[in-house]
Amino acid sequence: MPARRLLSDFLRDDLHLTGTKRGCETGTCGACSVLIDGRLVKSCLSLAVQAKGRNIQTVEGLQSGDRLHPLQESFMNCGGLQCGYCTPGFLMAACALLEQHPRPTEAQIREGLSGNLCRCTGYTQIVESVQQAAETMHGN
Amino acid sequence: MLADLGEDCRVMAGGTALMLVMRQRMLNPSHVIAVDQIAALQGIDWDDREGLRIGALSRHADLACCDVIKTHHPVLAEMAAQVANPQVRNQGTLGGNLCYGDPSTDPPGLLMALGAKVVLQSSRGQRVLSMEEFLLDFFATAIESDELLVDVRVPPMAAGSHAQYTRFKRTAAEHRPLVSVSAVAQFEHGHCQDVRLVIGASVAVPRRISQAEQFLQGKRASADVATQAADIVAQAIEPLSDLRGSADYRREMVRVQTRRTLQALFARWGSLKESA
Repeated sequence: MPARRLLSDFLRDDLHLTGTKRGCETGTCGACSVLIDGRLVKSCLSLAVQAKGRNIQTVEGLQSGDRLHPLQESFMNCGGLQCGYCTPGFLMAACALLEQHPRPTEAQIREGLSGNLCRCTGYTQIVESVQQAAETMHGN
Repeated sequence: MLADLGEDCRVMAGGTALMLVMRQRMLNPSHVIAVDQIAALQGIDWDDREGLRIGALSRHADLACCDVIKTHHPVLAEMAAQVANPQVRNQGTLGGNLCYGDPSTDPPGLLMALGAKVVLQSSRGQRVLSMEEFLLDFFATAIESDELLVDVRVPPMAAGSHAQYTRFKRTAAEHRPLVSVSAVAQFEHGHCQDVRLVIGASVAVPRRISQAEQFLQGKRASADVATQAADIVAQAIEPLSDLRGSADYRREMVRVQTRRTLQALFARWGSLKESA
């Protein structure tokens, strides 16, 4: 693999895991967010070689078998998406957030998602989606 | 390799800054050296006499949740928890942040107020520079092309000293501060001593405002004193002027944010409530 390959390009073009989106490609929009060893990062700001030997989780890894992740269910139920382009990034950011704060406050949700942009929903339904998933996963 | 290739070679730690400028074609190095696996540049330790040693590769998220930092320099952890956004805090390092020399960021100003030093290493030897010596200008630092920033050292707070860091963002969605204010002071019976006051983000390079520090020396911590000191600061700075804010706007916001920062510091530690 060329040393200059971005992690986002490696995932999409070499591994054909096209769930991870390329949005701005300048670290602004968060659509390319993935987890590296459990840490949320923007894959357009990472070189693929830097992730050598590490565990990379993308949106494709969220569901188990045919069962969607509670976050994927709640984004559908609450209307947490419209065009859907930003959704994989939001799902990964929300996943990292719920790992850190299993029962987040609204402020913690908004802070945890502050590295991701959505131009359709106005964010309210995304926040509600994360709240619903937190309830499903961890109760009240 | 750094020594041989000079400016044509760039060091990458977290990559959040370097990848950006390379993608924007502002830098086009022939070689990029990734230092992110070097164990000697990692870790955060405390020594009662020397204070904190923060390995240059410590990420902002590491600083924010580090127990040693929360115990000895809680203000540093509070600041680190606000840098940019979660992804950048998980990826960007303190050393990389400082070497980039970006004025619109949180760590350099607070580190200057805390009296921090950076350790620069090359095959020629080691240099230890204060933040004032290290930060030269807009995106310019004193690091030589063959040097690596290895550690950041933060001395223990003087007994009875307290620190406050606050910042102003133009909109809630912005990731970079338009103004940052760091204040460190001791209080004796409600009177300020040994104040260190640093303005960042609105100026090319963070700097201490000595006129305001001298004004505050021995003054009773009060809302009036905070307002007067803020006026002195607003007059003393040379603000940047760009798309994110004109010089006039930045000057006014520096005034407001300085007043708020000092009031918060006084309220927390200088018994402002009694005197107000």
